[in-house]
Amino acid sequence: MDFFDFIQSITDGVLFGTTYALIGIGFTMIFGVMHKINLAYAATSIAGAYVSWAVGTLVPLPAIVTFLIAVLGGGAIGYLVYLCCFKFVPLSSPLATLLSTVGMLILIDEIVVHETDGMPQPYPALFDDVYFEIGELYGVRGDLLFIFFLSLVATTVLLFMLYRTKLGMATRAVAQQPVAAELCGISIERTNASTFVITGLLGGLAGAMIGASVGLLSPLLTLPVTVKGLIVTVIGGLGSIPGAIIAGLLVGAFENFFQALRGVTERDLYVMLLLFVFLTFRPGGIFSRSVGRD
Amino acid sequence: MDFYFGLLQIIGVHTILGLSAYIVLLTGQVTIAQAGFFAIGAYIAGMLTVLAGWHLVPAMLVAALVAGFVACLVGFPALRVKGLMLVVATTAFGEAVRLFWFNFDYQIAKGDVQVGPLGGEGFKQIRFFPENGWTTGDVALFIWFWVAVIMAGLWWMDRSRAGAVLRAVGEDELAAQSVGINLTAAKVSAFAVGGFIAGIGGAIYAHYTTHIEHANFGVILATFAIAYPILGGLSSVLGTLLAVIFIQGFLVEGLRFLGDWRNLLFGALIVLAMNVRPRGLIDERVLNTLRRTFSIGQGGGNA
Repeated sequence: MDFFDFIQSITDGVLFGTTYALIGIGFTMIFGVMHKINLAYAATSIAGAYVSWAVGTLVPLPAIVTFLIAVLGGGAIGYLVYLCCFKFVPLSSPLATLLSTVGMLILIDEIVVHETDGMPQPYPALFDDVYFEIGELYGVRGDLLFIFFLSLVATTVLLFMLYRTKLGMATRAVAQQPVAAELCGISIERTNASTFVITGLLGGLAGAMIGASVGLLSPLLTLPVTVKGLIVTVIGGLGSIPGAIIAGLLVGAFENFFQALRGVTERDLYVMLLLFVFLTFRPGGIFSRSVGRD
Repeated sequence: MDFYFGLLQIIGVHTILGLSAYIVLLTGQVTIAQAGFFAIGAYIAGMLTVLAGWHLVPAMLVAALVAGFVACLVGFPALRVKGLMLVVATTAFGEAVRLFWFNFDYQIAKGDVQVGPLGGEGFKQIRFFPENGWTTGDVALFIWFWVAVIMAGLWWMDRSRAGAVLRAVGEDELAAQSVGINLTAAKVSAFAVGGFIAGIGGAIYAHYTTHIEHANFGVILATFAIAYPILGGLSSVLGTLLAVIFIQGFLVEGLRFLGDWRNLLFGALIVLAMNVRPRGLIDERVLNTLRRTFSIGQGGGNA
């Protein structure tokens, strides 16, 4: 493997890593606000993409509208997950919500399998015929570049929402100190629900981006994306949005590099090793300030 | 009849798997690594009986010891973290073990066929039971003997000092630490015992299916392992058994006539069960009622 292949595989990996970053942000936000794990999150995002695919089979749509429907679908499913798995389950039993989200993951997956007979479905991409050549040796796929910018925009909107609006302030308040937030008149339930909707919107976008860059939607995507999203969350540090972004890009680059170096069957083994290195030497994530380990 | 023996075998092996997660969950740790230990047990026991020609029982115990030892090694770094971090760490470990077997080749010629694990194609021809003329009934009996031994062992442990220590750690780590309990020792030993039990389960699993491959030991299996004790309730080992019978007996086999819809109902019923009974099917209240009923029955008999 020469130097040019090395640069090329890292570039592709970083561009694809933006989807991991979005999934990681979703996990990390839900954990930050509720201190609960939502294992159905990656399923939500894939299901959002499936919703737009289903609408697309009924009426022919331009790809950009498909993306928009995926975002809205993800938001709606995110709210459903909140209703089914969190709203009525007492917060004092963390194991119960963990298992109910697993049940939801299986349910969403099976609905998809039921509707599509388990066959992978084609998903539209934008600018997939564009290829930017840089010099003689390098090149960047147009569709990957597009999803990269799309996720940059999404992250900027999210950060603006979190730090410049009242809703964002309420979300951060509940994440920091739920009791104090409630005493100030913030409804915890409504904040939790809105967090699920917002992360659902983000997840729908991530699902559409995964579908667009792979070119296919398959129920088999759910589990690997769940695992990668969780790894990104931990490497980036729990509750840290910038951490999740950097970690997503890092994991994307890392995995693509080892795929080029050692083949697709061994690639994930090295991602797991990367995670263990982080757990051992930096358990608080990339941007950890103290040695908080929870 | 063979069908029912087959079902009994599945329920038995899954009960062992569930119990291996039960003891770890008692300490309040959520582990997705059980499928990894299960795989270690399965592959090592399979290699010992097929390649080295051992009898199943010593092969099983050695495989379980290896799985327990690996659990101990992994336990020290992994149990420094908790909550979501531990879920991720153990998921990663389980996946790493699966990927290890995915890339692992070790074949030797036996007669005119090649036997042994072969990467993605899996490990075929683990024919200890048919070669020694065990019937399905014998195998089912063998499995349930081990289920009984493990359940009795955990039941006894639960009523001993060790059980109290584990539960104290699970309820409140700070309080447990302040009465002088060594948290790391309690967690790592629970983790190691869990790995050992999962190893036994895996060894048996490899021999009754006769063919194992890496895909059998994925995140889904590990999720089932923790789903049984959580669904059944952590108050008693009986909860795990009940949950396995509910899932494998009723949801998987009993609803087969629903065809495709069964899988849909499966997830929905788990969500519903957790909404209605967040502390599990057999929670403290049910257990107390059971105890009272039985002790009243005994009292009446004595009087």
